[in-house]
This record gives sequence, structure tokens and C-alpha cells, in this order.
Amino acid sequence: MFGGGHLRFALERETAKPHSVGSTLRRFGSYFRPYGLQLALVMVMMVLGTWAQVTAPDLTGQVVDCYLTPAVASQFGGGATALPGAPASATSVRASNCRFPEALQLTTNAERIAGMGKMILMIVGLFVLGAVTGGLQFYMMSYAGQNVLKRMRVEVFQKILRLSIGYHVEHEAGDTMSRITNDADTIQQGVNFALVQVLSGVLLIVWIAYNMLTRSVAYALVAMSVLPLMVLATTYFSNQARRAFRRTRRSIGSVNADLQESIAGVREVQAFSRERENIEAFRETNASNRDANIRAVAYTAALAPALEALGYIALMLVTAVGGFAILRGQDFFGTTMSFGLMVTFLGYVQRFNQPIQQISVMWTNIQSAIAGGERIFGLIDVVPDVQDAPDAQVMPPIRGAVEFKDVWAEYKPGEPVLKGVELRAQPGQMIAIAGPTGAGKTTIANLIPRFYDVTRGQVLIDGIDVRSVTAYSLRRQIAVVLQDTFLFNDTILENIRFGRPEASDDEVKAAARLAHADSFIERLPEAYETVLGERGTGLSQGQRQLLSIARAALADPRILILDEATSSVDTRTERLIQAALEKLLAGRTSFVIAHRLSTIRHADQVLVVEDGQIVERGKHSELLARQGVYYNLYMSQFRRQDVDGGDGRERLAAPIAAG
Amino acid sequence: MRRQRNPAPPSALGAPSGAAPSAPSGAAPGATPKAAGYLVRAIRYIRRYRRDAVLAYGALFIATAAQLMVPQLVQNIIDAVTQGMIAGKVLELPAAVQSLAAEKLGLSLDELLAHRNGAESALLWAGALIVVFAALRGLFAFAQTYMGERLSQSVAFDLRNDLFAKIQRLSFSYHDQNRTGQLMVRATDDVEKVRLFIGQGLLMAVQALALLTGTLAVLLATNARLMLVALPILPIALLMFGFFGSVTRPLFEKVQRLLSNMNTILQENVAGIKVVKAFTREDEQDRRFAVAADKYMRQQLVVSRIMSFLFPLVFLVASLGQALILNAGGRQIIQGTLTLGEWQKFSLYLVYVFFPLGMLGMIIAQMSQASASARRVFEILDAQSDIVDKPGAVDTPPLRGHVRFENVTFRYFGSGEAVLSEVDFEAQPGQTVALLGATGSGKSTIINLIPRFYDATEGRVLIDGLDVRDVKIESLRSQIGIVLQDTTLFSGTIRDNIAFGRTGATDAEIERAAGAAAADTFIRSFPDGYATLVGERGTTLSGGQKQRLAIARSLLMDPRILILDDSTSSVDLATEAEIQKALSELMRGRTSFVIAQRISTVLNADQILVLDRGRIAARGRHEELLESSELYAGIYSSQLVDDARPVPAPVEA
Repeated sequence: MFGGGHLRFALERETAKPHSVGSTLRRFGSYFRPYGLQLALVMVMMVLGTWAQVTAPDLTGQVVDCYLTPAVASQFGGGATALPGAPASATSVRASNCRFPEALQLTTNAERIAGMGKMILMIVGLFVLGAVTGGLQFYMMSYAGQNVLKRMRVEVFQKILRLSIGYHVEHEAGDTMSRITNDADTIQQGVNFALVQVLSGVLLIVWIAYNMLTRSVAYALVAMSVLPLMVLATTYFSNQARRAFRRTRRSIGSVNADLQESIAGVREVQAFSRERENIEAFRETNASNRDANIRAVAYTAALAPALEALGYIALMLVTAVGGFAILRGQDFFGTTMSFGLMVTFLGYVQRFNQPIQQISVMWTNIQSAIAGGERIFGLIDVVPDVQDAPDAQVMPPIRGAVEFKDVWAEYKPGEPVLKGVELRAQPGQMIAIAGPTGAGKTTIANLIPRFYDVTRGQVLIDGIDVRSVTAYSLRRQIAVVLQDTFLFNDTILENIRFGRPEASDDEVKAAARLAHADSFIERLPEAYETVLGERGTGLSQGQRQLLSIARAALADPRILILDEATSSVDTRTERLIQAALEKLLAGRTSFVIAHRLSTIRHADQVLVVEDGQIVERGKHSELLARQGVYYNLYMSQFRRQDVDGGDGRERLAAPIAAG
Repeated sequence: MRRQRNPAPPSALGAPSGAAPSAPSGAAPGATPKAAGYLVRAIRYIRRYRRDAVLAYGALFIATAAQLMVPQLVQNIIDAVTQGMIAGKVLELPAAVQSLAAEKLGLSLDELLAHRNGAESALLWAGALIVVFAALRGLFAFAQTYMGERLSQSVAFDLRNDLFAKIQRLSFSYHDQNRTGQLMVRATDDVEKVRLFIGQGLLMAVQALALLTGTLAVLLATNARLMLVALPILPIALLMFGFFGSVTRPLFEKVQRLLSNMNTILQENVAGIKVVKAFTREDEQDRRFAVAADKYMRQQLVVSRIMSFLFPLVFLVASLGQALILNAGGRQIIQGTLTLGEWQKFSLYLVYVFFPLGMLGMIIAQMSQASASARRVFEILDAQSDIVDKPGAVDTPPLRGHVRFENVTFRYFGSGEAVLSEVDFEAQPGQTVALLGATGSGKSTIINLIPRFYDATEGRVLIDGLDVRDVKIESLRSQIGIVLQDTTLFSGTIRDNIAFGRTGATDAEIERAAGAAAADTFIRSFPDGYATLVGERGTTLSGGQKQRLAIARSLLMDPRILILDDSTSSVDLATEAEIQKALSELMRGRTSFVIAQRISTVLNADQILVLDRGRIAARGRHEELLESSELYAGIYSSQLVDDARPVPAPVEA
């Protein structure tokens, strides 16, 4: 009968329609199967609770008919014998709906009070039953639902980690994450709460309708006459509201975009004295957002009052029609009208309102939940394009010979990024890969630990095709140092230990020493126990690179893949990094996506990649002498070698537009 | 080309400032009011919308009054029916007993007749009135919600505008300390929470109070004895709500904490997926996530357990109130001191008593959230920008371009290690000054001091002999052009972005600037040309293209002083040559400060400043420095040239 706050939230939410309801529900079913007992209990509680809810008004009516009306009627008669000459029936209620005949025989007030007290105790018992079943039902449903959700979250997470790099390049991180953050939340709302509410709401309405109809068809129809209007009002207003809120989502999106841009670019704004214009522009976006919201809220603001007013009208109809019938001789289309029946019906119509609101609003929550489930199951069902062959062997200890035989690779079908790459690295060699952005350097590096599979040809390590061994045994022996060092929100110790979890603290520190990271780490107040923030905030680029090198050193790989960073570091750190890398590379086969002259000059082989092909190969000096592609590249990229400069924006896993 | 044609009003020297509407919103320093104080400040924004507020609260009272009428009318119906029925029965009795019965009821026969005959019309009247009041209730409840929402949207509108304006004008040092995300959250989530409280919580609180006092007044006035039976339930329910709130709040906070733990692990693993895979850490991360997910679930279940106990309990208490009324009222009816109608009225009113109590929990939760949010919002609004026009600041006259640093020392946030120490130099109009040094040596600090993005901690920055702190910021900055390597483009067309610093520029001017910046050709290669949308929601431009737009943007402003970073993103050779040409075009005739990355720059510079840990370690021209400064020679060979020896003589030389 009241409220509407929760309504608004439900309507504001983005809703989505599921495509395959049946199969998704069956999937849900399989997740809920282990909690069959809990669900059965939920059902039992639901039925018991609803029974208590519909029985209480009935008993209240009985109180009226069995004890109160007779007492009122006897007030002018003062008992059956007080009015001599009057027919006994005249002083009692001619007909009543009291189902306890013995109560009607009572003559003294004391007896009536005692009888009524007993009945009210029964009503209290019903209230207690309602409370207990309600609580149990809620808890059981939460228990089953939360467990199911946890299982889904973990399964999605496992899947995310096992999907190939290709999948992650194609799908935005935020989108992948929202399977766990948003969709799981929608399911929680929809399945755990909305479903139970809708089910019990429907049960309550049906049960009340049944109770009323069996008491009196005509009176029930009167009481329920507002029901269609309520349903109509609810569907109309909530549909309108939903449509209007969809517009507000767009307008708040613009507000956020404006904010984001102006805050992120505040330095530029101030440099060009654009404050005033920006503020003016924001005012406009902001105003249209305000107006869209005000328009949208008109509908939600109308819904609750409309239902409430209809509820009062139902109340009036029940009292007025019942009153007329009582005044006109208590017969109402074949039913005996009584005050008790009126009270019972009053209780019933008051209970109609809430379930109707809930059902219409919650229904869309359930739809969203099913759609969310669809997306989650969709992700769980994705078959990773890189996975161990059924008969995959364990990769034996690697010596470090790497060979590419006519390797073709593509990210998008029909757009090859590598076109017939041939290369051969002897154990312990350092291979520098150079070339313009987008030429395919990163792709070559990605194929060695089998982050992707070739579309044609073979990648062989020590003569073994990488596809014939387990990814785990292969990657364990390969370390990757990325340009954009990824650090976890954990201590420095644990971040280095990431390279080899079983390493002891001493081994971790030894690796840090080897990477020349120990000196800066020890200067930090908490040294190795320093907790790094999001993406390693608090450390400089160079320091993060040193940690990344330490991590790789700890892993003690046989093959090392290095995407050289070009980010700005000061000269001292730069020298440290160089020294650390030299030590790390010693004795291992290494592939370096080269941005530094020194690297290139020391490489055993320089591969110049252009448009997915190796166009030149050889030592630095040989290539320069040739005055070909490498010479030009060198002229534009390396000659102006500096600390701050260079591009280096190529993300390791970025999809590469050929050319 | 035009020169500083800003619409700045000709303000007399010494006139009170008034240039910057962002003048700090004078928060009493020192005295920090409690969070509730901030909420009150937010509520005061309502004052700008008096009409809406009056309408919302007026509607509230009418709606509540209408609501209070309904149970009374239900009583009227039932009473009319009871009386009519009794009268009818008595009148049906044999004449002899009629008077006796009437006597027992304390009514005359005429009154009984009136009761019987008037019952139906009384019933009709009451029924019609219920319809009227239901309609009134519906109408005014709608008006209340709608106007409340309007009011709160308007307040949110103002708060957001104020925040935006403030954020736009807060100095660089403020933005150094605050991340974009945090500021965003304040302007969106926090404003929304304040808005919710103003639009719903506050109205709900008033409504609950009105309904509660109204109902209690009616009940006490009509049958105090019956009311007193149910009254003790009230404080019990209140206590339970208080308990409920205090027990669940920390639990909910813990749920949030565990949730964000879980999401952090997720986010890390998605962002760092390659590292995870490269080091084959999948199983370990699975376990880590499963533990976090499990902890989160368990905490959720703890909350569920408490809620599944507390919620039904609260409802049970409310129901017990009903039962008490049922029982006590029933007794009174049996004893003849209460009518059926009044009894029914009581049970309807009782819903009105417990409903506000039910809302209380929600209101309190909203209020505490809103207070915290209001504090965060006003923290920004109260923040003092340390770079503001001082009272009596004058417009910068058209500049010639003479720049002088007088013993400038700079510390971030006014304390800590000096980033610049006693930097002293002078640039003549039209000169090119190259800044050289390692990261963190102070190059960018020097260029940030010229357009007064920061204020010098000690010493002075003089332009054409004027202290930059004595002139109006906008008039100063509009004569300084800045081209940095990492250029932010704003959502809008390419044309908008070039005209960024000079909104009123004509198409011809814009195209001329783009042409000079070697940007015209690539712009025209887009299907939409200058109308191509860029920025977050538009076409992605390459680094080189962005840089050329930034050059065009500065060219259009025709600044007297130019600040730039001469590094170029990786572009093909032809483009690079074009960018170089565009840059030298831009620098011609302007005083330029260049963070030097190229040999050509230092070779052509009139002055090279070699910075080392905030000090000018050496200065002079290239040839002089090569001989006199070891530091310069070192930087020259390692940063600028590296080992370029095998290469035939540098082209630029």
C-alpha cells in the first residue's frame, strides 16, 4: 500500500531479454540441483507462510462473526431472555458466517471474551508461523543462491584464465569482468530474491482469490474489481518508466563522458583557458540529464499513488457493498453477508497491492537474470582456441633451440599477420626483432610460449612442436618480460615470487639482487614487504621494470622473451636495467623486441620484420652495410635514440593491423 | 592574425578582482563541521528552488491528511451499517418490546427510525467521500513525489555544475594529488546519494513524522485506552530498528570490502592475463579467487542469517500490535464501549503507525550515506585553488616574449625536497631555449611555471617584466601555446579541437593553421574532413596525427611564447620531416621553450639549459657546452646521439 522507493530502483536498472529461456533455466537447474533439499524447504515454507497469511484475516472475520456481532446484537436484548415476547432470532444475528456453532450459544460477555482470546491466540500463532517460515525461506534461498553464485563465479574465473590471449585481445577487459561483477549480481537479484517474491506473490494472490471466491463469488468479484486496473496501471507506468529511464542512462552517460574528459584533460583546458566554455557546455549536458530524469520520474511517481488510491477504492467497495447487503437483509447473491465476512475481505484486499507491484517489477529482474545467466554460460562454454592436445606430452627440459617453419598466423580469419616466417635460433642465442609498429614482431614472440596457434607451419622447440606438449610444461620453462610491467596488488616479495611460487624468500631476494632491484627495494620503508598499489603505483617505470626482470630471473627460464620498454627512465636506472638484462640473458635463448641500439648491436641475429615477413636478417653491422630496410629503420628509429623518446606504445598483445 | 582579443572587460587598476567566478567558496578554515553539517549545506541548495520545495511539502501534507481520513470514513460506513441494522431489528420487534429495547440502547424510537432510514445514505456518502479522498491522496502523493524529485534533480544539477566549475579551475597541484576516478565518483555517485536523500529520504522523514503524529493524535483523541494498549509496541519496534541498523551496518561494510577484494583479484588477472599465462599461474590464481569468492559468500550468508532473523521479527512485533488491538478492542466491543467500525478503524490506523517505523531504517541508512557523500562533495567545493587571480590582477598586455626566472625555487605542495633550486635565467623575445636533463631534473617544472600552472615557492617568474602572479591568469595563458607529446583530444570534431584555444576562429583560419601544421592532408583524407569526430567516442588518431593537431591548435592561437616537447611519435620518415617543418614554422619569431629530444633542437637553440637535480648545471650554446660541460657532453652522446657513429653524418646537422 505504500512506498515505491524500491520500485524506482528496479525500473531504473538496465533490463535485457533472454533468448533461450528454456535451456538457460535448465542450466540454472543443474546448478541448483545439489541444493534440492533447501529448495524443497523453501517451497514448503512458502506454502506454510502463505497459508498463515490468508488464514489470519479469515480468523479475524470469525472473531467478529462468532463473538463480536452476537455481542453487539445482544446489547439491545440484554441476553436471550431479557426481552420477553420477542422471538429469539430477533435478538441474535439472523445468519452469520461463524463456523463455530458453539460460540453462538454463548450468552455472557465473559464467555465471549474468553472464546475470543483463544481465537486471537490462534491468530498470534499464525503470525509467528508467518515470521518463522519467512525467515527460514529467506535464509534457505540465500544459502542455495549464494552457493550457486559462488560456483558460477569460480567457474567463470577459471574459464577466463584458460581462454587464449586471442580471446582477451578481442574482448575488452571490462566486458569480460562484468560477467562476474554485473551478471552475477543480476542473477543474485533475479534468482535469489525476485523469483521467490514473484512465486510467493502469485501464490498469495491465487490463494486469496480462491478463498474469496469460495466464500462468495459475487462479493469476491466486487473486491477484485480493481485488480485489472491495478495490473493495467502497473504495466503501463512501469513500461513508460523503463523507456524513460533508458533515455536517462544515455544522458547520464554524456554527463560522465564530459566529466571524464574535462577532468582527465584539465591541464589542457587550463593551458588553453577553456574553463568558461567547458563549464557552459557541461551545464547544457547536465541540464538535459536533469530534464530527462524529471520526465522519467513522472511515471514512477505516478505508479505508487495510483495503486494506493485503487487500494482505497477496493477498501471502500468491500465496506460499502457489504454494508448495503447487511442493511438489506444479509443476503448477497446467495451468500450470507456478515460483518465478519466484511472484515475478512478487508484484510484480503489490503494484501493484494504489494504482490501486484512486486510481480510486475520483479518479472523483469528475472528476465535480466536469465539473460545474465545466458551470458555467463556463454562464456563458460567458449572453447579456448589454444588448448592442450588430448595426447599432449610433458615438455622435457628445454635446451633452447627454437625453429619457425613456414609460420603463418592471423588474428582475424583471412588477415594473416605473419606470412611464412622462417627462423632458427641456437640454444643461448639472442635474437633481436626489429621493424615498424604493426609489422608482426609481437606475434612472433607470442607464438613461442604458444599464446596463439599458428594457422600454418610449425613452431618447434628443441625439435618438438609446441602444440604437442602441455602448455603448462612449456610455459614453465619460458619467461616473458613485458614492456608494461604488470604488478599485483601484493607485497614486492610476492610480486617477484610470482615467477616461481615455491621459491624461498632468500631465492626471491637473490633474484632481486641479480636484477639490481635490491637497492631501491631496501630503501623503501617496508622493503620487500611494501604493498604495491593498483598496477604498481608508487614505483617508477624503471623500478617496475627491474621487478619484472627479477621475476623472470627467479623463474630461471630456458627461453626468455623480452619486449623492451622504451618508457622514460633516468640514465642511472637505464644503466641498471641494461646490466640486469645482460645477466638475465646470459646463457639463455632470448627473443628481444628491440627498441635499444645496444640490444641490437649485441644480438646474434637481427630479424627485420615488415608486413608479416622477415625481410632482412643478419648482424647489425652487416645489415647497416646493406643500406636496405634496416638501414632506413635505423635512421628513423634508432639514430635519435634518447631516454624520453621513442614510441613504444605497441601493446604486446595488441591486435596488429598488418602493414 | 589577431592578438589577445579576449572579451575581458577593461577593468581599472586596483578594482576588486571579480574576474574569476571560482573565487574560493570561503570555507571557515580550521573549524570542520561534522558530516551532518555538510548535509545541511547540501539541503540549503533547496533554497534556490523555493517554489518546488513549497509545492512538494504542501502536497505531502495534503496527501497525508487525505490518507488519514480514509480509516475514519471506513468507520463511518461500518457504524452506519451497525446502527442501521440494530435499528432495523429493534423496529421489527413487537411494539411492546420495542420501547424496552430502545430504552436499553438509550435511544428514542425516532432516533432508531432515523438510524434505519439514514443508514444507506450515510453509507453512500462515506463511500463517495472515500473515493474523493483516495483521488486526493493519489493526486497529491504524485505531486509530492514528482516535485520532490524535481527539486532533488535541480539540486543535483547545481551541485554538479559547481563541482565541475570548481574542478576545472583547481590548480595543477590539486590535480596532482587527486586522481580522475576519485573526482568522477564525487561528481556522480556522491552527488546522486545526496540527491536521493533530498528527493526521497528527507521527504520520507517528514512524511513519516506527519503520518505518525497525525495517526497518534487521532487515535489518542478517539480512544486513548485502546491506543495505550498498542503504544508500548512503538518503542520496542524503534529499539529493534536501532539494533538492526547498528548490527548490520558493519556487516554490510565487510561484505563490500570482501566484494572489492574479490573484484581486485579478478581485475588483476584479466589485466595481467598474459603474465599469469606466461608464468603458468592459473591454478594458483584459481585458488586465490575461490578463497576470496568463498569469503564473500560466507559474509553474505552471515548477513542473510541476521536479516532472516531480524526482518521477520520486526514484522512479528508489528503484527503483535494488531493482535493486541484486536483483543483489547474486541473486549471493548463485547462490553459495549466500542463500535465495530471504530475497531476496524483502529486496525487500519495501526498500519499507518508501523509504516513510518518501517521507513525509518531506510531513512537513517540514506542519511548516513548522504552525509558522507555531502562531505566528499564539499571537500572539493571548499578546496582552495592555490592558483587564483589575486585581487587587483591586471590583464596581461600583448606580450613581446621576454621571460625571466629570478632565483626560482620550487617545492611541490610548498614543502619537501626542492624540485627547482635557485633557477635564474633570461630569454629574450624570439629566442629558443632548449631544456636538457634527466627525468626528474626539473625540465617540466620550469615550463609549468611560465603559464603559472604552479607558483614559484621562492623567487619570481617575470614575463615582459611583469610577475606572472600579478596578471590575470586567463590573459596570460591565452598568449602562451603548449604542444606536448601526449596530446589529449576532446570529444568533438577535428575543427573543434583545432579551435580549442580560440573558439571563434573562422574555417579559413582553422584550415590555414592545419595546413601550416602539415595536418591538412590527412584531415582531408577522412570522409568527413574537418567534421570528423575524434576523442573517446570518435575516430582514433595516431600519435603523429594528434601531435600535428596540437601544433595546429597552438598556431591558431598565435601565442607569443611557446612551450613544446619536440619528440615525435613513431611516424614514417616523410611525416616526421613534415612535423619538423611544422614545428620550426611554429617556433619562428616566438620565444620558445623546448624540452629537447633532438639534435637539431639543441644545435639551433639560442640557449641550452642543462638541468641536474633542479639546478642549472650548465648553460650556453651547443659548441660552448660541448667543451665546457662534461655533463652536457655525456647527455649529448647518450641521450641525443647514442652511438650514431656508424651512421653517415646526421641529416639535420
